[in-house]
Amino acid sequence: MRPSPQASDTAVTPPAARPRTGDEHPPAPSVLPVPVVQLLGIGKRFGAVRACEDVSLRVQAGEIHGLLGENGAGKSTLMKILLGLVVPDTGRILLHGEPAVITDPSAAAAHGISMVHQHFSLVDRLSVWENVVLGDRGRVDRDRARTLVREVGARYGLEVDPDACVEDLSTGQRQRVEIVKCLRRDPGVLILDEPTSVLTLEESRELFTVLRRVVADEGRAVILISHKLDEIVHATDRVTIMRQGRVVARRATADTDVRSLAREMVGRELSKWTAASAVGALDALIEPGTGEPTGGTALLDVREPAAAPAPDPRPPAGEVRLRISDAHASTLDRRPLLRGLTLEVRAGEILGLAGVEGNGQAALGDLLSSLLPLGTGRVEVCGVPVATGRPGAMHAAGVGIVPEDRHVSGCVLDMSVAENLLLADLSSVTSRGLLSRRRMAARARQLIEEFEIATPSPDTPMRQLSGGNQQKVVLARELAAQPQVLVAAQPTRGLDIGAIEYMTERLHAAARSGIAVLLLSTELGEILTLSHRVAVIHRGAVVGEMDRADVDTERLGLLMGGQAA
Amino acid sequence: MTPTLISEPAPALAVPPADPRRRPRVADLGTPLLYAASLSTALVLAGLLIALVGLSPWDAARAMYDGSLADGAAIGQSIDQAAPLLLVAIGSVIAARAGIFNIGQEGQLLVGASVGAAIALFTPGPGALVLILALLGAAVGGALWAAIAAVLFYWRGVAVVISTLLLIFVANQAVSYAVNSPSLLREKAVAGQVTTSQTDMLAESVWLPRIGEYPDFNIGAGIFIALALAAGTSVVLVRSRLGFRIRMLGLNPKAAHRAGVGAVLIGGGALLASGAFAGLAGGVMLTGSGHRMQDGFADNVGFDGLLVALVARDKPMLAVPVALFFGALRAGGGFLSATGVPRYIVAVVTALLVLATVFPAAYAEVRRRRTAGA
Repeated sequence: MRPSPQASDTAVTPPAARPRTGDEHPPAPSVLPVPVVQLLGIGKRFGAVRACEDVSLRVQAGEIHGLLGENGAGKSTLMKILLGLVVPDTGRILLHGEPAVITDPSAAAAHGISMVHQHFSLVDRLSVWENVVLGDRGRVDRDRARTLVREVGARYGLEVDPDACVEDLSTGQRQRVEIVKCLRRDPGVLILDEPTSVLTLEESRELFTVLRRVVADEGRAVILISHKLDEIVHATDRVTIMRQGRVVARRATADTDVRSLAREMVGRELSKWTAASAVGALDALIEPGTGEPTGGTALLDVREPAAAPAPDPRPPAGEVRLRISDAHASTLDRRPLLRGLTLEVRAGEILGLAGVEGNGQAALGDLLSSLLPLGTGRVEVCGVPVATGRPGAMHAAGVGIVPEDRHVSGCVLDMSVAENLLLADLSSVTSRGLLSRRRMAARARQLIEEFEIATPSPDTPMRQLSGGNQQKVVLARELAAQPQVLVAAQPTRGLDIGAIEYMTERLHAAARSGIAVLLLSTELGEILTLSHRVAVIHRGAVVGEMDRADVDTERLGLLMGGQAA
Repeated sequence: MTPTLISEPAPALAVPPADPRRRPRVADLGTPLLYAASLSTALVLAGLLIALVGLSPWDAARAMYDGSLADGAAIGQSIDQAAPLLLVAIGSVIAARAGIFNIGQEGQLLVGASVGAAIALFTPGPGALVLILALLGAAVGGALWAAIAAVLFYWRGVAVVISTLLLIFVANQAVSYAVNSPSLLREKAVAGQVTTSQTDMLAESVWLPRIGEYPDFNIGAGIFIALALAAGTSVVLVRSRLGFRIRMLGLNPKAAHRAGVGAVLIGGGALLASGAFAGLAGGVMLTGSGHRMQDGFADNVGFDGLLVALVARDKPMLAVPVALFFGALRAGGGFLSATGVPRYIVAVVTALLVLATVFPAAYAEVRRRRTAGA
């Protein structure tokens, strides 16, 4: 049962037209049987941070239960408690009505609780069947394992070749392997953490079809953790909404809609911009409409999309600031990372590079951070070729970058905020080889004020700042260097709504000031909100390009999935 | 923008972040206690050990004290022992800050001392000039020995820990060969005398100057060289652009690469600098106290210097008192063995005391990694 793209547009149709992939499944009955999982009054503190407080959750057999909340709302902590990875300070866990003590993941597995983590735990060099039986005790029975993979695959529509090597699989297929790994243990409860962040639209639809089968035909329970409203609305039966460590609402999905969910999740109304990039409400972005002032503050209203999301009117095409031509690069063990990637970014525009995670975005970020030398191909900034991989070359040429993982190359956690605001740009505070503390502090104060960075002092170690403020430090430093090109890779990942709004505005302002902005993102909402032009990256090459005005999500989805369209 | 208001909260601060500074304060209280507990355990163990071989622990303690702190001469001895330790430690600090773990100081020290000896013995010229050339030569020798490890690492990816450690054994053999070969450094035969495997005594004109006369307080000039370099290194690491880049490289090589810090240039340079400091320590030992090369010349100074850096947690100025403490231990240990306590017992006793000082730092580091990993 695989819905054709046109027939059942699970991820982008408004809720009114919501198709149920499992029509045979009745809504949860009003008199509830004993829940499979019941968490009562769970509390957990990490130092002064309250991760969970008095959280209760009940999940019935035969339902897909959505757990919705922003980053940092406490969803992950709650699930770690259920899996035995974190010990709660207060509260009880009941399984099938019986009190249970879960001390570690193997105990959770023995209770029939199994989780597909956001980041896969697969061994790339092993085959699918080897990964599935990895960790089993006793003799390895190759034929039985392969049959097992085929059987589980056939039962749930998770076909995957048991002899394929995991490193040759697409991300969607890898996720199937992870789910097969869980399902073959016959779990009563299957937890999925942000499962669609690595999937194309088409793959997401298929995943939800599978999940519906898992709950409807076999009476299992599924907990779907997500911050994307669309998928909660389309795929779940009931939803528990968390904010700042507390449960703020419990709803039957049929009685709610994207707008009220968004309000409950964030605690206030959202601008349409933020709604799209932060909570994945694509609908608002796709409906055609007449222009609304830039940065419009219209409330999220999915039923009557009055306006296009309105990035700036297309800016007059500036000169080409960044040109990457036919870039090829590979890892040390010769696995290809980039395969003939070509793109141009012009002054004053935001080029959104959409793509499923793992298709070369990280390599492109490394290339523009001078961390990856090209095999063949060239990079030009303002028409001047730049030596790839040479320390500091990209920075010197005027490429600023907010990298995908700021802890890896974006900042030095054990240096102070003031020092992190400098890193490469030491000349302005150096005289005769010595750094001037006075000028460092002055510069830090100015940037801290200008970019609204919340830090106790410029001398605070970077490590002690929140993720959003660390990101602000990186952005402030890169913009202070007055770059020709600004690369923002997953700039809002892991941030809370306020920080997302902030980043979104800053990137727009950067483009208005004439900087060429390259946005790498796996969140289609983010791409569509921000970009003037959209390009699609697949397997290390740009496979399609279109103006924002001509965007057709269906085509975009196909391109991201690697199908010519 | 007044420069002095560093601790004033930033105006943009809306909500103070969860106070993460509370915990270190508790830990800081624990540290002196930990040192006290660790030292007394070591002392008790050492006393038991000495009693076990039939000697008086009290007499032994007395001898340790007499040898290191009792009078001016003893204090001078401790300071003299501290000078090369401090030099080695500063070098280790520089490498460690750049994220490189050089543990081959013992070998770099030996090679440096040999180069220094060759220059001091065979270069004609005024004494002061030859002395300076010998010390510089010793530094260059140590740096070149470390350069082998640097080349192996940046060219072939050989781990620095492994190569520097193994190069100690190579240095031992090479220096031993040089000291045993009449055509190289072995002492010149005097008619009627049997030569042993050592170099000639250095001419007195190339000895490091000393202040004071035995039996009063007297120290060599080595400690002043070491103190000046410790202060200089501290300023470079904390205040200079070069130091900023070294720290950045050590704390996050990728961010450093993006910011234009070449790992080969800065990291390799730090490794060479640490070799140069070890070599200079060898030169100071040669021209300051031994005045000739012979077997066992290095006498674990390279390793002890490494420990000084570890206990000082890679802070050059903190290394000064730690080096003085280790110097006192070495001086006291030397005196203890002169009172008839077997050499091996002295070695075990000093090792226990060293362990006692290293333990709290190592324990804190393990704790830090645990909490960081959790």
